[in-house]
Amino acid sequence: MTAYVIRRLWQMIPTLAGVILLIFFLFNWVGGDPAQVLAGKISNPEQIANIRKQLGVDQPYWYQLWVFVQQVFTFDFGRSWATNEEVSRILLTRVGPTLTIMVPVLVLETLLAVVFAIMVAYVRGSLTDRTIMVICTTAMSISFLVYIIVGQWFFGFILGWFPVQGWSESTLRNVLNYAPLPIFLAILVGLAPQLRLYRSFFLEEINQDYVRTARAKGLPEKKVMLKHVLRNALIPILTNVGIHLPSVFVGSFLLEVFFSIPGLGREIVTAVNRSDFPVIKAVTVYLAMLTMFVNLLVDVLYKAVDPRVSFK
Amino acid sequence: MKRPAVLLAACLAWAIAAASPAGAAVERKVLRMAFRTAEAGFDPQRVDDRYSVGVCENLYEPLLTYDYLARPVRLVPLVAESVPAPEEGGTRYTFRLRPGILFADDPAFKGNRRELTAHDVDFAIKRFRDPANRSPYAWLFESKIAGLDALAEAARRTGRFDYDARVPGIEVRDRYTVSFKLLEPDYNFLYVMAMPNVVPVAREVIEAYADDTNAHPVGTGPFVLKEWVRRSKIVLERNPLHRGYELDARWADPADAWDRAALEALRGKRLPLLDRVEIDPIEDEQPRFLAFLNREHDLLDEMPFAFIHQALPNGKLAPALARQGVRVFREEQPEVTYDVFNLNDTASGRPNPVGGYAPARVALRRAMVLGYDRDREIAVLRKGQAVAAQTPVPPGVVGYDAAFRTAAQDHDPARAKALLDLFGYVDRDGDGWREQPDGSPLLVEYKYNAGSQENRQLAELWSKSMADVGIRLEAMAVQFVDLLKDKKVGKFVLAGSAWIADYPDAQNFLQLLYGPNAGQSNESGFRLAAYDSLYRRALALPDGPERNALYREMSRLMLAWAPFRLGVHRIFSHLQYPWVKGYKKHPILYTNFKYLDVDLVAQKAAAQ
Repeated sequence: MTAYVIRRLWQMIPTLAGVILLIFFLFNWVGGDPAQVLAGKISNPEQIANIRKQLGVDQPYWYQLWVFVQQVFTFDFGRSWATNEEVSRILLTRVGPTLTIMVPVLVLETLLAVVFAIMVAYVRGSLTDRTIMVICTTAMSISFLVYIIVGQWFFGFILGWFPVQGWSESTLRNVLNYAPLPIFLAILVGLAPQLRLYRSFFLEEINQDYVRTARAKGLPEKKVMLKHVLRNALIPILTNVGIHLPSVFVGSFLLEVFFSIPGLGREIVTAVNRSDFPVIKAVTVYLAMLTMFVNLLVDVLYKAVDPRVSFK
Repeated sequence: MKRPAVLLAACLAWAIAAASPAGAAVERKVLRMAFRTAEAGFDPQRVDDRYSVGVCENLYEPLLTYDYLARPVRLVPLVAESVPAPEEGGTRYTFRLRPGILFADDPAFKGNRRELTAHDVDFAIKRFRDPANRSPYAWLFESKIAGLDALAEAARRTGRFDYDARVPGIEVRDRYTVSFKLLEPDYNFLYVMAMPNVVPVAREVIEAYADDTNAHPVGTGPFVLKEWVRRSKIVLERNPLHRGYELDARWADPADAWDRAALEALRGKRLPLLDRVEIDPIEDEQPRFLAFLNREHDLLDEMPFAFIHQALPNGKLAPALARQGVRVFREEQPEVTYDVFNLNDTASGRPNPVGGYAPARVALRRAMVLGYDRDREIAVLRKGQAVAAQTPVPPGVVGYDAAFRTAAQDHDPARAKALLDLFGYVDRDGDGWREQPDGSPLLVEYKYNAGSQENRQLAELWSKSMADVGIRLEAMAVQFVDLLKDKKVGKFVLAGSAWIADYPDAQNFLQLLYGPNAGQSNESGFRLAAYDSLYRRALALPDGPERNALYREMSRLMLAWAPFRLGVHRIFSHLQYPWVKGYKKHPILYTNFKYLDVDLVAQKAAAQ
């Protein structure tokens, strides 16, 4: 396994190089000129040139790329061009609120989806199964924005169960007061597609020969489902969770904007709008690295879930 | 026997202490509200967004400010002893600071009280021109003060701004006196010195927090920054070292209900009255509106347009809000929206169909202005919350002429078509679209900000309006930063824009068409000798009928040559619960915290 992990880590280097090149060329060709935004309402070409010089965007491309590579390996992306705040500080202070929302969303959504999926898979073809699938299809066809707008209005304003928006310095207060509504709405949105997907994983396993054999041997249905079917269906579920895991660190822009959560999602969109390249660079590179590590972790976990898996 | 007696005495002492006023917890007056955009920071010389500057208004104090109640606006001294009279033909202004004004406490002062001096003013003005600061308001002091440009140029060459260098145009005469010598007469200089960015700052504070001056604002203002979670929460608290203000009632209008209410609430009291202000930047409209309805906020500045029909159906406060005693302050902001025609002969390297000053091109621009359905924009897109602009100068600024009316910007498709026909813009090939007089195709490209839903709707309206008069218009969505750049370098044919007053004088708007400003604020590249001459003459004149006549003439030239399609002046509605006292929106100042009060009894009664 060690050799496998080392080989995978080694493969990350060219992938990271590709990410760096892609970000760099995208920003320089598609991204706007940050100096235009920073220069204010009235500015002359000399001022624009001065700002470009200060930001280093007047340097040759090869030099800017070299600086970028250095930043990636020193983990020092400097300061935000728009606010002058240290990029590392931006990431550290914004990731907390994002994780406060997104970790419970991922955990609860996965648990609920697995439980409901195994239940509806067990009663596949029944009226209950069909009704739940119709509900899921309907729920999936409604935009996330609608959930947020209606949920905020109904649960926050009409029922008054939660504050309409806000965030505080106290983690406890955030967890108890401000986070529940956005978490609830995110789960509501995410549950339907996950449930459908996981149901299909379970159905595929239920139709396998080993399940028929287990039943023929007289194993109780509960044991067949929870021990054999669940365990085998966990591999694609794990893959799916692994795919979604990096997004946990990026947050949901819509949730953060609507509920005034000072998270990374909002920060990233603002950085893009302001052409704040240091923030964009840092987030994109860290996200790419995170994705690669999560993929590796998921691959290693396959072995734990299914001993038949071997590392080659 | 002894122990119960001691216990009894202790209980009695506790009960007396608890009942006495000294023992009672003093309730703090807290105002809660939202900003509709997140702030960038609080270094006054480094920020220009409305909300950062709005917070700076409370942390710092300029030399001059505006009277809270006077309309039209009126300059009054703040840290200066008086509003100075222009000297030497409007080229010299001398300010005498009030002695004894203190900066808020900060570790940078090493435990000492720090008095405001003329050197702090000198330092702040120089900061605008320090290239390292990238000040978005550097233009305020560009080609303005004798010797300052040379110092900035030297800094650009050497990479270091010499703050100790003596600038001939900034004369610190003594501890409390500073005199500015301008390169040319400027009768609006006093307005510049009342801007919330143009405030003295302490050099030792700036140097102590050089890495992040945005996060360490230390001024002489009535509030201090107590807590700042960037883009999420801003908390201000009363500055204990502030000397306090009193409301000046001299300029109040007895016929104005807002003035009467403010006087009743504030007269004779030492301001500020609020202990704490809590601001939540909320970018989306729904949570901002719901937070107000939920009483999570005490006032709602700039009511979201999306909910205007719910809050103000038919222009009247909704009964549910009226029952709660909510009040609404309606304000035409000193701003104008407009569309800019590129007047250069080429745009993006191609012939520009709307550029130039030839009669046919002018006719085309005027026809497009007439063809655009502005009434629909106001009624539908802006939900009636705007008035049609008659000149580039908005209400509330000096030089605005309320009587000025023009038909040149009305929606009149018949006139538009007639004008186009007259100058040869007709459909020659029968495809339903007009061609240029020389027979070549006529296609106008309209660039707009892709990130704005409002701009997208305006682009659709442009396309539809032009189709109605036979002009093919192609709307092109571009990123905001690209739009800014394209407008500055002339890579556009037609594009949307807006301007809000930096200071309340028509010159701040009319400079948008001044020839030498082409490539900067003059996005159209309009160069008309007659206009430029009028502009220069107006600059050399103080406020008065003579200058107003020049402003009117400039507006007429603008309407005749049509470098702009004038849009609207937006109307904002500001809502407050009845426990917020002293409210009146000022057209230039962004916030009014130092004049507000919270009636705790009324607030509690409403909560129950």
